[in-house]
Amino acid sequence: MRQSRTALHALNGREWSLLAACAVTILLFSVASPYFATSGNAGTILRNSIELLLAGLGMTLLLAMGGIDVSIGIVMGLAAIGVGNALGLQMNPVLTALIGPAIGAALGFITATVVVLGRVPAIVGTLGLLGVYRTAIFVLLGGQWLSGLPTGLTNLLSVSPLGIPFAAWAIAAVYLAVWMALRRAPYGVHLLAIGNSEEKARLSGIAVVKVRIVTFVISGALTGLAATFYVANYRNVEMTIGSSLSLDAIAAVVLGGTSIMGGRCSLIGTVLGVLLLRILQNGLLLVGVPSLWQPVVTGGLLIGVLAFESLANRISIANAGWMRR
Amino acid sequence: MKTIRNLKGPALVLSLLTCLWVIVILMLALLKPSAFSLSTTTTILQFSTILALVSLGQAIVILAGGAGIDLSVGGNVSLSAILGMLALKAGLPPSLLPIACIAIGALLGAANGLLVTRLAILPLIATLGTLFVYSGVAVAITGGAALSGVPAWLLVWGRGVVAGVPVPFLTLAVPAFIVAGIILTWTSWGRWVFAMGFNERSARLVGIPVDRARLLLYAISGALAGAAALISIAWLGSARPNIGQNLELESLTAAMLGGIAISGGLGGVGGVMAAVILLVTLKTGLLQLNVNTIWQVGIVGALLLLVLLAERLSQRWR
Repeated sequence: MRQSRTALHALNGREWSLLAACAVTILLFSVASPYFATSGNAGTILRNSIELLLAGLGMTLLLAMGGIDVSIGIVMGLAAIGVGNALGLQMNPVLTALIGPAIGAALGFITATVVVLGRVPAIVGTLGLLGVYRTAIFVLLGGQWLSGLPTGLTNLLSVSPLGIPFAAWAIAAVYLAVWMALRRAPYGVHLLAIGNSEEKARLSGIAVVKVRIVTFVISGALTGLAATFYVANYRNVEMTIGSSLSLDAIAAVVLGGTSIMGGRCSLIGTVLGVLLLRILQNGLLLVGVPSLWQPVVTGGLLIGVLAFESLANRISIANAGWMRR
Repeated sequence: MKTIRNLKGPALVLSLLTCLWVIVILMLALLKPSAFSLSTTTTILQFSTILALVSLGQAIVILAGGAGIDLSVGGNVSLSAILGMLALKAGLPPSLLPIACIAIGALLGAANGLLVTRLAILPLIATLGTLFVYSGVAVAITGGAALSGVPAWLLVWGRGVVAGVPVPFLTLAVPAFIVAGIILTWTSWGRWVFAMGFNERSARLVGIPVDRARLLLYAISGALAGAAALISIAWLGSARPNIGQNLELESLTAAMLGGIAISGGLGGVGGVMAAVILLVTLKTGLLQLNVNTIWQVGIVGALLLLVLLAERLSQRWR
């Protein structure tokens, strides 16, 4: 009895409804397409979720802080170029794997310099960086793909300790680490306080600048880690790499119940949001919707969720007013 | 030096932009003297027309404050152009095409306005979402192909040149800026926009209908994007689903360069026009020097960052 109660309470209402939405979506697509409910396709969905799970974790922290970063897709691209070039040079695989997070963290620090130290609104600052980085990617790649990369990294990361893929271990580890930082360290309280009100956080003695810089660096490092897994999985880096990652991450995190106004976040929600988004995208492809419609679906989902939240909020406020009367 | 210190607001912005523009022109003169001709001027103004209209919309939305920003402008231009041409193919009388483009743009802009005012969604997230929806729909329903079949009389207007100045620039961009300037400076409605941007709370307290005004501003920004779509159709002779690409970045840069404060309430439209011409001159200059077009987005992005950082630094000095 007790056990089941704690299990029930581990998830909040939002997370239960996301779980239900995942189940309904899976059910609908299983009926609509014979190719959907196969173990091969489940593997595809999970493999496609790796980068988004990592980048989405960083985006969760950023949104919870009242920030945003629309350049993470291109940051993953730049980190992937670094990893790809290191692979091409036949470097030590472990070092190669670490290059991704290192480049990501460095780029995260650049973002932090512009947004936090330069006091530029995050959306405008990261949009400017997005433009600069797009040119950088073109210059670094010289208009060509990095393809047919050596298998060194792939071999390193395709081990399955205890029968569970290494990627799953890595994702579980970073989620656990972030969860600990949020729940068991002052960092979490500070982050959410800044998200609620930066001014009040500063007045209560929180080192706002430091926490914000650290968060941008963490988000960059997580995006860089996503790049490592991307290169290991696909062994190429194309010109358009990561072009939909930023929108996907924002949509998944908002879907998961993290507030875009800051001050509230849910890591389980982000995981479920990522899975629901990837299931939807995969299922729509399998029932024959052209992939060109994907940004429309993702953008529509983002706006739809926010509009629904806003309406639900208004109705509950109206009800509360009626009760008082 | 002292005279620069004494300049304030619009005059300072305009003189700084003119200095920058002269520097760009001088650099171009040094590197490629053959680039100077009347046709280059015409090209610059031709490219400026679309960016000027979109930047004007972006500027008034930002001016009105409330974290206002319209990231969807590029998607709006693409989708208005595509839907306008599809309506033409579906039997719309060709004479109504201009009105249709502008009306579609206004509707798409009003959708942004509703999301921001009625549903209280942060403008940056709402318009980021609609950017992907609008541009995605434009690409998806055409499969990425351009739609041709523009009526001949529209091409005459779109490609016409009077004394080196493109006709769309004279008939749409210039009047739009003059009207916007007059409304913003000399009507109470225009002062409302500044009041909202400067301090929304006090604007509400003195009875300004902030939400209705903001909804209208997003719709106007959309209508201007629709007008830009019309110009792209009339000039290029086809509706292209990717015509609005990067316009969100370029229009933001133009608005910031033009002296609009990102937090709202400060700035004017004259600076925006000057910034648009500076940006397009820079881009055309790079094109003349055979620099790959992919460099343009990087340079525009870097300029945006530079302007914002310079603004912060200058605040610190004062």
